Amino acid sequence: MKCFAKFLLKHYLRVITKLTLLVHRPVVIAVAGSTNKNFAKKEIKRRLEEEGLTVRANPKNFNTEIGLPLAILHLPSGYNEYKAWLPAIFTSPLRIFQRNFPRFLVLGLGTSDEGDMSYLLSIVKPHISVVTDITQRYKEGFSDMNNLVDEYRLLADRTRNNGVLLLNADNYRVKRIGDNRKKKVVYYGFNKKADPCIVGAQKNEKGQRAKIRHREKEENFQINRFGRHHLYAFLIGVAVKEEVKSL
Amino acid sequence: MFERTKNIKLSVIKQIELEASKYPDAVSLAQGIPDFDTPDFIKRRVERALKRGVVAKYSLSPGLPELRELIEESLEKEGMYYDWEKEILVTAGSIEGITATIMAITSPGDEVIIPEPTYTSYREVINLAGCKPVFVPLDEEKGWGFDIERYREAVTEKTKAIFYCNPNNPTGTIYTKKQLMDLARLAEDNNLFLISDEVYKDFIYDEKEFFSLASIPELRKRVIRIFSFSKAFAMTGWRVGYLHSDEENVREITKVHDSLVTCAPVISQYAAMGALEIEKEKMKKFFEDYKKRRDVMCSRLENLSHVFDFVRPDSAYYVFPRISSRVAEVVGKDLIKGDLVDSWGFAFRLLEKAQIATVPGTAFGPNGEGHIRMSFGRRREDIEESFDRMENIFKT
Repeated sequence: MKCFAKFLLKHYLRVITKLTLLVHRPVVIAVAGSTNKNFAKKEIKRRLEEEGLTVRANPKNFNTEIGLPLAILHLPSGYNEYKAWLPAIFTSPLRIFQRNFPRFLVLGLGTSDEGDMSYLLSIVKPHISVVTDITQRYKEGFSDMNNLVDEYRLLADRTRNNGVLLLNADNYRVKRIGDNRKKKVVYYGFNKKADPCIVGAQKNEKGQRAKIRHREKEENFQINRFGRHHLYAFLIGVAVKEEVKSL
Repeated sequence: MFERTKNIKLSVIKQIELEASKYPDAVSLAQGIPDFDTPDFIKRRVERALKRGVVAKYSLSPGLPELRELIEESLEKEGMYYDWEKEILVTAGSIEGITATIMAITSPGDEVIIPEPTYTSYREVINLAGCKPVFVPLDEEKGWGFDIERYREAVTEKTKAIFYCNPNNPTGTIYTKKQLMDLARLAEDNNLFLISDEVYKDFIYDEKEFFSLASIPELRKRVIRIFSFSKAFAMTGWRVGYLHSDEENVREITKVHDSLVTCAPVISQYAAMGALEIEKEKMKKFFEDYKKRRDVMCSRLENLSHVFDFVRPDSAYYVFPRISSRVAEVVGKDLIKGDLVDSWGFAFRLLEKAQIATVPGTAFGPNGEGHIRMSFGRRREDIEESFDRMENIFKT
């Protein structure tokens, strides 16, 4: 009974979401990877909003078959309470024609089992796709590492032909996703060939001081967060801000 | 033989519970256990992890990366910025985090200052590490706040850390920003660590302001902040918590953590993920219920003003009333020691006469004498029943 209800809900939300996207035609920026999706999403959102653009990003774990449509439709989850789902079910059709739908959607796409990405990509077709990294995390849902990587390859395949792939140049599994692509690929990271690239970073009391090279210019930034993943998120923000100009 | 453990005592709270179990109609206000069950959304998260077969193996020693990432995000919302890869450690409850911290930052013979009355197990952990707990009394007249001069006087060459619980157990006091900043300056002047146990930080009533020194970037090398999922999410049995500090500190604490437990129970780490994934709004009802119970307990205590004087708690789920010597006629004159009532004797007499389990104040340090701790984490019916019984035996 529970599985059947979930099946119905999943497909109902999918249809409503697809109709909503058809009506509003937002620019979709997909963020996938084993770690750092949420920090990257936040940074992209911050950067785009700085430019005066309207942006909606999915909250932390709203990146699955049911969470993603809820995020796009801007509806709350009922979690495990049947009653709590009723408002989402009844109000979702109204979302198709909602006013002030944002111009940009920044969506984390989660994959923990084979086929997850395929389902999510049946709902959205990204203009820009970011792959943060690929680690051992979630490997248990796949027969081997190659199958896990294939999920991200599929994302690269299904990104619009005139779109952009943003790939982490420091993770060889991610980097290779960009091989032999006809669409534009941007590599970011510490790797010297990456652009944008971190030339140097120093931890300080408030966070990190980083020197970043982008399009042959070097600039210093203070990032008030700790950890290498925030440097990557910063680079992703820089790259996305640049790439949306050409969309 | 047993040199290390000879001065370690079993928890007084457990002793009281053991004694209470002999009375068939005993009502317990002793243990700090929420009477709620772990919320369903946390159980569902664990069920999913079990079905996926991901809980049977060790995790990395600092904890599951996905959990630590969620912890970093949750800290960010509270204005605290820590790197999940190097600065956050998932522990087997807060007490394991406390033990690993004390073992890592001290050497035998060092002194650790603790304001008291405070949580009973701090003293035992400090003793276990071969260190000396130095008690600094809190001031009941100032709502159990602290006086910085008393800390200054307590600092010696051997002092390594000041270890406090904020909000405090058993008094429910929230230390003010000024008090904590004074403490930070004292720690800076004397090169001390500050260990802040904040397991009750979600139990704040009447919109009181809560401040943590871990939110000051300049103090990150000095402050080690400890949190547990036990109280805020009714997960005492899952044994999972975390600590965070600058990477230099966490690296050393992780060595002890690894040798003590290898990693926190993986199934419980998934439960912790469930707790952090849920919207905070979903937990609101839970805390509102505690506030109602506090109000019930305080109002019933007011009816017993000839027996107890108390400071209304701003946080946690305990009241720590002072026992009036006027109760001597009921509980026995032998319990009166000067101005104070022997709290140990009083707690046992209360158990004998009314079958109500409470915790004697001495369990929380010398300054706790003359008080008992009552928990309003228990069912409202239990609170009402225990006060009906007390009103019966302490008739004016």
